[in-house]
Amino acid sequence: MPTDLLQSVLPGLLRQVPTTLLYWFAPSAIALLLGTLLCIVRVGKHRALYWACTVFISFFRGTPGIVQIYIIFFGLPKLLWIVHVDIDGWPAGAYFIIATSLNLSCFVCEVLKGGYLGVDHGQIEAGKSIGFGRFQNFFRVIAPQTLQVSILNLKNLEIDVLKDTSVAYTIGAMEILGYANRVISNQFGVGQLWILGLAAIIYFILCALLELGFTAASHHMERHGRRS
Amino acid sequence: MMDLDYDFMISDLPTVVAGLPKTLMLTFWSMLFAMAMAVVFGGLILSRIAILRQSVIIINTFIKGVPLTVQLLFCYYAVPYIAKSFNGFLGYQYDPRHIPYFAAAVFALAANFGAYITDVVVSSMHAVDRGQYEAADAIGMTKFQGITHLIIPQAAVISIPSMTNYFIWLLKGTALASIVNVVEMLTTAKISAADGYQYLEAYIDAAVIYWAVCAGIEFAMGRFEHRIGFFMRQSERTITPISS
Repeated sequence: MPTDLLQSVLPGLLRQVPTTLLYWFAPSAIALLLGTLLCIVRVGKHRALYWACTVFISFFRGTPGIVQIYIIFFGLPKLLWIVHVDIDGWPAGAYFIIATSLNLSCFVCEVLKGGYLGVDHGQIEAGKSIGFGRFQNFFRVIAPQTLQVSILNLKNLEIDVLKDTSVAYTIGAMEILGYANRVISNQFGVGQLWILGLAAIIYFILCALLELGFTAASHHMERHGRRS
Repeated sequence: MMDLDYDFMISDLPTVVAGLPKTLMLTFWSMLFAMAMAVVFGGLILSRIAILRQSVIIINTFIKGVPLTVQLLFCYYAVPYIAKSFNGFLGYQYDPRHIPYFAAAVFALAANFGAYITDVVVSSMHAVDRGQYEAADAIGMTKFQGITHLIIPQAAVISIPSMTNYFIWLLKGTALASIVNVVEMLTTAKISAADGYQYLEAYIDAAVIYWAVCAGIEFAMGRFEHRIGFFMRQSERTITPISS
């Protein structure tokens, strides 16, 4: 790689890393909450809510993420305009975060549901038998074990989300790939493959770090089970 | 209700559907090459030749750590150089006005999904019971016969659910090819909406079609798996999957 290109582009790309991490973290946090709620409905007994959630999940799993981003980007302002809320001034990143959160929560829901069904039912009864209330049982028995079962699938989802932040540039949100694209068009394509290669390496390092983090977390979660 | 142009939404539906064959073609070719790559790479991983195995793992790890968007853009920018160097090869005439972006998108999608499907191939081969190898030995089959007649058919059936998942992922992934000048369904929708700035309506049309196609494939493959897996149904009854 030409060193002058490296010196001029690399700092700019690295400055976008926090934005990419925000576009990764915000949807992840929202989706963990929303996905848990969806999952509670999906394993629950309320029929009407169950079918509403199933259709919602089917839509977000059956359509491409980029189409969802476009629909939120063009549709949400129109939808909120009915109740006279003006969100035209919002940055493009906000639309990306909303769309990705909705999309991700459907996948998180499915993963958590798989994990929940994998939890031994005797554990829930054991919690009840020692006098846990519903909330105590949820936070101390069900949630930790569900997370432990589903952590590997969650890791794959989170890595996908981190990579999919690169789609944000299609609606004009600036992150690593958006910056790379702007530099490429400003330079009329000079060194375009080098710049993209550099972006690829940054994404790869971020993914590797995320993978390490999740591996450490899953080891931590399995610390009680390892003895048996 | 929302301020939507419902008449346009209905009249635009056939226009967007006309882009579906291109999306399916892109999916088909990408899946074909991805599976070819996965079979070769999976074979190399299973071959236990340390250096080949390690290099395949390194290539796949790198592909999986880089966004598909970056790979698509990389191929998009690289294809003019490659096409130029093939000028005159087997009668191919390089024409800067007709750069093969479709082929570039197929290459990027196939490489990306090939890396993931390699894992499916490897794990499906591992999922076949060891006893089946011994059974092949016991009835006097050679190692090659055993693998082609006994192991691969069973591994293929085991891999169908995962393959279906990746096929649907790939179908959805082809929507990203719209950012690299490939005229597939999403691009068709975008072009059809440009006149009246009715983007939302066109994108909703596209979403509905993607949804219908994905749900249809999922249903059809479920039936297909049930049919083709007749000889494994015995074991299905004993194994209860953890996730539903």
